[in-house]
Amino acid sequence: MKQRCLLGSWFPHLAVYLMFGSCLVCAAEEAGKDRQYFNEKEAPENLRDLRNIQKALQETLPQARAATVSIDLGGGSGSGVIVSGEGLVLTAAHVSAGVGKEMTVIMEDGTRHKAISLGLVASTDAAMVQIEEEGVFPYVKLDREDSTSLGDWVYALGHSGGFEKDRGVGVRIGRLVRMAEETINSDCNLIGGDSGGPLFNMKGRLIGIHSRVGASLEQNMHVPLREFLKNWDAMLDKKFVGKGPFAQEAVAFLGVSTEDREEGGVVIKVVGDETPAAEAGLLEGDVILTLNGEELEGAVQFSASLKLFKPGEKVKLKILRDDKEKEIEVELGEK
Amino acid sequence: MIKRRKSKLSWVRSRVAPIFLLAVVSAATAQQQVGQLEGELRLNGKETWKAFDPVREVLQKSSAVIYDGWKSIAYGVIVSSDGYLVTKASEIEGVKELSVRVNREHFKKVKVVSSTVEWDVALLKVEAQGLPVIEWAEPEPTHGTWVVSNGSTTRRDRRLRVGIISANARKVGEGRAPVVLGVTLDTSGEEEGLPVKEVQEDSGASEAGLKSGDVILEMEGREVRSMKDLQELLGSKEPGDKIQIRLKREGEDVELEVELKRRESVFEEKKTRNDAMSGRVSKRRSDFPRVLQTDLPLSVRSVGGPLLNLEGHCVGMNIARANRCETFAIPAKELLAIVSLLTTGEESGSGAE
Repeated sequence: MKQRCLLGSWFPHLAVYLMFGSCLVCAAEEAGKDRQYFNEKEAPENLRDLRNIQKALQETLPQARAATVSIDLGGGSGSGVIVSGEGLVLTAAHVSAGVGKEMTVIMEDGTRHKAISLGLVASTDAAMVQIEEEGVFPYVKLDREDSTSLGDWVYALGHSGGFEKDRGVGVRIGRLVRMAEETINSDCNLIGGDSGGPLFNMKGRLIGIHSRVGASLEQNMHVPLREFLKNWDAMLDKKFVGKGPFAQEAVAFLGVSTEDREEGGVVIKVVGDETPAAEAGLLEGDVILTLNGEELEGAVQFSASLKLFKPGEKVKLKILRDDKEKEIEVELGEK
Repeated sequence: MIKRRKSKLSWVRSRVAPIFLLAVVSAATAQQQVGQLEGELRLNGKETWKAFDPVREVLQKSSAVIYDGWKSIAYGVIVSSDGYLVTKASEIEGVKELSVRVNREHFKKVKVVSSTVEWDVALLKVEAQGLPVIEWAEPEPTHGTWVVSNGSTTRRDRRLRVGIISANARKVGEGRAPVVLGVTLDTSGEEEGLPVKEVQEDSGASEAGLKSGDVILEMEGREVRSMKDLQELLGSKEPGDKIQIRLKREGEDVELEVELKRRESVFEEKKTRNDAMSGRVSKRRSDFPRVLQTDLPLSVRSVGGPLLNLEGHCVGMNIARANRCETFAIPAKELLAIVSLLTTGEESGSGAE
């Protein structure tokens, strides 16, 4: 029966590639699409199968380790993996936690690089980070063909519990134990700090990014690579895709509390220290009449209007101070 | 429903957490059609284990199961055919009804010959002849090498757990002495000696009557001026050793004798969030001079046995379940040196029977 399975899935591939001619056979091999024989078995049967799994893992591990990074966010850390020579990093949305955030990428040997977060998918926990320094970085190849299936042997890498130079990257072996559209589970055990780290098939192709764990040791969840591929351009373009629960879109912040005013506009009651409002020179008692030309009717409407802007955007306020009207431009901050 | 998921995940974004944590979610998240791999076919499932059977045979013959009465509490590595074996010392400390099973033979008379708290290894002796001695592996295994060790057991059959070498071999912990007096000290260094800030309950220090405010001047006749002096002195001691202390209390000279205890039995470790997702971990899981790291999902009661490669050769001895994804083993080379040290009796333990 196992023989039949094996042939059953080897022959269709062969047939397809042969039809398209020899060049495509090479291309297919290059893409690593033909499946390894041990993945066609329900379970390894003997020491030979186990040694072949070990061999496949060990052959691809050095490159996978070189490309796996720790991501230091100051207050915490996660993991990530470099997928281009220019230093594009895939990670989890709950690690990058926003668009345009500064962070540090740490290589296994301890080398640190400045990096900035690009886009993310808040609903499925996918994100991109770009190393800002120029250089040629070690990177891994992607399983673009989505060639894995349930039961395939895989391995997980990550900086568990944060970067530790003496320990280095931790590798764990397992099988794909559950496949859903937006989540794949393996029995490679993960822990805090692994978030954003890579999951590989036994050809060393990236198939997913670590996201979360369940209570049981066998519930280790990864974002499948296809979720990244689907949103690739949007993430490169620094887009915040989808809604929660893995990241919250940054809210624009001015830094004043205001009250309604009978004659229209809002009165500033408090200007927070070191806020965009203070920096722009707004004072207590100033009356804000318009926001980018829109007339203000009250504090609630003002606050709702501000939420439509993004941190870093500039807005024009027409204010009334000592009975004189004045225009002030404020660059909004982030809460 | 979205709200419910949100609340479960909210702490993921916590800014105070020292380490970015994976979210812990319940199994019932996605409702779509999904495929699941049967338990038997998983990494540590019955069907997968079958491929490792030649290695399991080695565990059957030359690993030891250590019991407290009827309950198995640890495993052991047989190091001589006439009945010497090593295990994790802290797991057998104070055990009243120690017995050992090798293969299907049960040894009820067990002698604790010696131990080293530095490595947390104890040498045991049972009355036996012709036990199969473990074969040692060379060289040290690299990342990704399959490793096999004892899992649960029945009276007749040894079972296994499988995984791989996960990370660089290294020293773990901060090199603190594994035994303590049971005091916290004021190390500001303004006074002569070491002033006692607090005395830990159930410690050797509290039993000997040390009090907050005492100033430790000498230990074993040697002046102690810093934590370094203290650590150096304690570094070579075993639990149960007694230390003479001279201290100053309200202007008077006082002499006391303090019994040293294991650090982990006196000071409670702070639980991290990563510990919260790890299940039970070994009481002593740090401060080892050198360990191999594996991803073996061992229970705390499955430590102490041999770590084997696919050839069935011993690459080390499991010494601690550290967390959800890390299990530590003493490498074969170091273990051999420890065995030779313990058998020559240079370091002597409790000697209890």
